[in-house]
Amino acid sequence: MPCVSPGLRWTAVCVTAIVVLCGVIAGMAQTSLAAQPADVKHLYDASCASCHGTDGRGRGPAADALNPSPRDFTRGTYKFRSTASGSIPADEDLYYAVARGLPGTSMPAWKGLLTEAEIRALVAYVKQFSPRFTADLPAPIKATPAVATSPASVEKGRLAYGTLACGACHGDGGTGVGAVAAVLKDDWGNDVEAQNLTEPWTFRGGRAAADIYMRLKTGINGTPMPSFADTAKDDDLWNVANYVVSLARKPIWQMTADELKAHYTQQAQRNASAPVDRGRYLVKTMACGHCHSPVDREGRALPGLSFAGGVKMRLVVWGDRVSANLTSDNETGLGRYGDDDIKRAFTRGIKHDGSRMLPFPMGWPAYAHLTLQDQDAIVAYLRTVPPVKNQIPPPTGPGVFTYLTSKFQMLIGGKDFPVVIFAGNAGSAGNPGSTPAAAQR
Amino acid sequence: MKRVLKWVALVVVILAAGGFVAFLYFIPPLMSTAPEEFVNGEAAMAPLVGGIADPAERALAEHGRYVLMTTDCTGCHVTPGPQGPMPDMYLAGGRQFVTNTHGTVVSRNLTPDKETGLGARTDEDVKRVLRSGRFPDGRAISHNAMPWAQFSNWTDEDLHAVVVYLRQIKPIRHEIPPAAPGVADAMVPGALEIASGLDAGKK
Repeated sequence: MPCVSPGLRWTAVCVTAIVVLCGVIAGMAQTSLAAQPADVKHLYDASCASCHGTDGRGRGPAADALNPSPRDFTRGTYKFRSTASGSIPADEDLYYAVARGLPGTSMPAWKGLLTEAEIRALVAYVKQFSPRFTADLPAPIKATPAVATSPASVEKGRLAYGTLACGACHGDGGTGVGAVAAVLKDDWGNDVEAQNLTEPWTFRGGRAAADIYMRLKTGINGTPMPSFADTAKDDDLWNVANYVVSLARKPIWQMTADELKAHYTQQAQRNASAPVDRGRYLVKTMACGHCHSPVDREGRALPGLSFAGGVKMRLVVWGDRVSANLTSDNETGLGRYGDDDIKRAFTRGIKHDGSRMLPFPMGWPAYAHLTLQDQDAIVAYLRTVPPVKNQIPPPTGPGVFTYLTSKFQMLIGGKDFPVVIFAGNAGSAGNPGSTPAAAQR
Repeated sequence: MKRVLKWVALVVVILAAGGFVAFLYFIPPLMSTAPEEFVNGEAAMAPLVGGIADPAERALAEHGRYVLMTTDCTGCHVTPGPQGPMPDMYLAGGRQFVTNTHGTVVSRNLTPDKETGLGARTDEDVKRVLRSGRFPDGRAISHNAMPWAQFSNWTDEDLHAVVVYLRQIKPIRHEIPPAAPGVADAMVPGALEIASGLDAGKK
């Protein structure tokens, strides 16, 4: 070290000492955080486990109804990364997924709900579900400088979108209606839909050109979306990213009244031409499965019994009812009934034999307000639900005396007669694959 | 004369007793009311959107009303009374559920009331509940009592329209108690959850 005065040297030593000390303190803070596995586990179980499961397999009690399915942490396969195709993600990738959430999915942005330190601790906790994080190192990619968007770049991107055959899945113009888009599967065996590129508010990994570039460069592990790192030049990836950004349509919250009218008219036409898709959307979002798919005592769906009914409800005054089998089975499900019978049941509360339902818990007075087109769509979808043989026991009444005395207590005494919803399947198919605790008593 | 009076008294007593039994048997008239009356009652509860000045907002609220009505939100969120849901307490909450997984929870007040409803909640807060089943403080919501996992399948646009409509309904002051411990299975063996028929909220 020539030409350095002793004073400066001392300063340097002091600064170094302070930096090292800070490092040690920070390290200790880090260690003390990591040294509380019970707390992190508690935080994970309270915040993450209802979807991802306490074992990290992505099969938490609420997982069954979610689309996309919650991430299975045990494989170490992550979709949204800044690392090479097939690589484990960098810590920052996991941090951003937790902190910012994944738009268009049930994963919320945890920043603001949890502290920075809690999010970092959860990232560390989630990593230990997969041995890949101890065996491998993330392979970061080198992003090239952005190509600023311009009409020329967008046009080049449009051409590259064609040569890279993006439209095969995402459709011409990015609407998601492509040649093979209907038959895609991910590594977990779930059906996946190619992203509709005109609705950037649903882009899981972010809607900025830099985010889209990263998806093209690294691919989306576990899904049919490949990496184009080896098949296209970086500038072209940026051009495609700029093109995809340009495909965005206006979301309804930015539309004028006239635009909304046109939008909803167009949507109704699209729904009319794809009744099964529309019906699936309605059946999912109207929560038909909430009562017609049996669950165990944690509320976890019993395997193989989706829409097979069998959920017993005790309406104390009115007796026991068991939810109907909505699958297409010809002997025990809706396969036995005509379209009009089914529609009359869910819109008028009148069963196939002419007997009536109470106006609860089945919400037929609400479902009656579905348009005829939507009613037909629901029937069209239910016809496609794979048949499950699950004979549903008939309703049982409480007997006139009990009925009258409990009515007396309810109407005169103001006593509460609740609806008891039972875990398990009361139908003939029993409780397949359920834990002993889930079986009915 | 006395004998006639006796007979009259007997007939009156029998009629009164019979009438009372018939009252117990048929009230509430769940099976003797035409289905159309229930259906119309459902629509009458949900305020129309014609009064909204901004035409774009009106169009969004109209769509939100359709989604909300056909999803049977009223089934749990209209305040329960002794003879069933109370139409003048539209979406004011108060139905109590004892669940196996989340203790005793009460359906929330969804009206725009600032202190007891959603008035002080941001759109993001409301959407997070429907999308991710989380309260604004991060607490998990029972997916058995409240089917948020199913509602998470709504597109962002349908979700938005629902929130726009919820902002337009009549604010009702109705305080909902916080969650408390309690397990359905302990009350009725084998139960997953128990839904009360009475109002647990405070006006």
